[in-house]
Amino acid sequence: MSLSAATEELKIDWSIQEDEDRIGEFQGRIDRRELVEPGDWMPHNYRVGMLRVAEHHANSEIVGALPEGEWITRAPSLRRKLALIAKVQDEVGHGQMLYRVSQDLGKTRDQMLRDLITGKTRYHNVFNYPAPTWADVAMIQWLIDGAAILNQKSLAEGSCGPYIRIMKRINMEEAFHFKSGEDMVLTLMSGTRRQKQMCQEAFDRWWWPTIMFFGPPDKESTKTGPFMVWRIKTATNDTLRQKFIDRFVPAALDLGLKIHISVKDENGIIKRKPDGTLDQIEDPELRYDEEAGHWRFSRPDWDEFYRVINGDGPCNKQRVALRRFSYEQGAWVRRTVLGQYAGLPPSRN
Amino acid sequence: MSKVRECVPERTGELDFPVEGDFKHYEVFTQLEHGKRHVHAGHVDAPDPRMALLYARQHYGRDEPCVNMWVVPSDAILSANDDQDVIWPRTDQSYRHVRGYKDIRSRWKEFRRECDIEEYQKEDLKEAF
Repeated sequence: MSLSAATEELKIDWSIQEDEDRIGEFQGRIDRRELVEPGDWMPHNYRVGMLRVAEHHANSEIVGALPEGEWITRAPSLRRKLALIAKVQDEVGHGQMLYRVSQDLGKTRDQMLRDLITGKTRYHNVFNYPAPTWADVAMIQWLIDGAAILNQKSLAEGSCGPYIRIMKRINMEEAFHFKSGEDMVLTLMSGTRRQKQMCQEAFDRWWWPTIMFFGPPDKESTKTGPFMVWRIKTATNDTLRQKFIDRFVPAALDLGLKIHISVKDENGIIKRKPDGTLDQIEDPELRYDEEAGHWRFSRPDWDEFYRVINGDGPCNKQRVALRRFSYEQGAWVRRTVLGQYAGLPPSRN
Repeated sequence: MSKVRECVPERTGELDFPVEGDFKHYEVFTQLEHGKRHVHAGHVDAPDPRMALLYARQHYGRDEPCVNMWVVPSDAILSANDDQDVIWPRTDQSYRHVRGYKDIRSRWKEFRRECDIEEYQKEDLKEAF
């Protein structure tokens, strides 16, 4: 079933001429909501586009496990620790399944893992931010997983059979992550003054990255158009973003959280003013637009988004380095099981 | 009775040709609808994979309409030993399921009005909650 293609061929190329009848027939299948299976004919750019989506998603699952994994040893109770272990295990499992789907679209797993750790492919920008407190773990599970469910529910209505089958299964598991996140946020916000403060500060760190999680604004997103036609995507970035805002703004306000715009240092930590207070203001644009039935909010800092996505975020190097270390440490095991010359295990010192 | 049946010789004793041996066993997986996953339907014995697929189509494809089918050699399947391997959790693992967080709704009530909780939970996956 797997169709192998050399890596250099795996680029979106709109100049490629393909048989118009076949493309028409393919579009007909998509429009009738038929699912595309790995053995079926598909336009080159569909294959590459779908591969990009699945591979980026797989990368995000395994890199996403890293900031939370740091907290396993420091969880505040046994139940929280068990839940966090289960969650991190789920994420890595999702990565595993998504790499398998990507393989059938034409790229080898080893190449995908190598491209990730050599910086040729990306993962969700949001994982380039630090998680300095336990409340960050709560925020990741509530906000990021909440955003991921919205996004993945729309992806699960797409056209690629193997991908959407996996997506439905992933969404079931994400639901527990989200509930666990809600549970943690509710606990913190029902707690002491210090717990509430820790929760607010973590919320300030994660709110804007989560809003940018849905990707650049529609008018700047070059791929949205054709990807919507082929149902690789089924909702635009801005639609999903607004949906997220309408659901989470009122919940956050009711919890007693404030929505701030903050000045952060290069480590992603909110700066303090000379008097010791945090350098932030409440979002001046935040209001409910009765007429439209939507919450309005300030324009996210897209300059920051592009800066971080291009490698200059607080944790980019740290995340990739950890993944790379793990890949390098495991090389001798992989060679051994493949019957190749393995040499000695690398020293950990 | 037909002519052939009238002429059937009445032989007894051992057969004068050796046993052929069994066909290989194959497990059959059917896909009932496009886009759904393949599920285990049963098994067939066949001399080779192509014949296995043919038999499986005849046998399982007629039981229920299906759109696709896989056959897999049974000996390619490695099964866990359920006496020795713990393949299902024996401890409380409710923390890894949505049902482990049943009191979320009542906890939200401390902060929010009933109608706001309804609105907020509308997006939750129906099949998972």
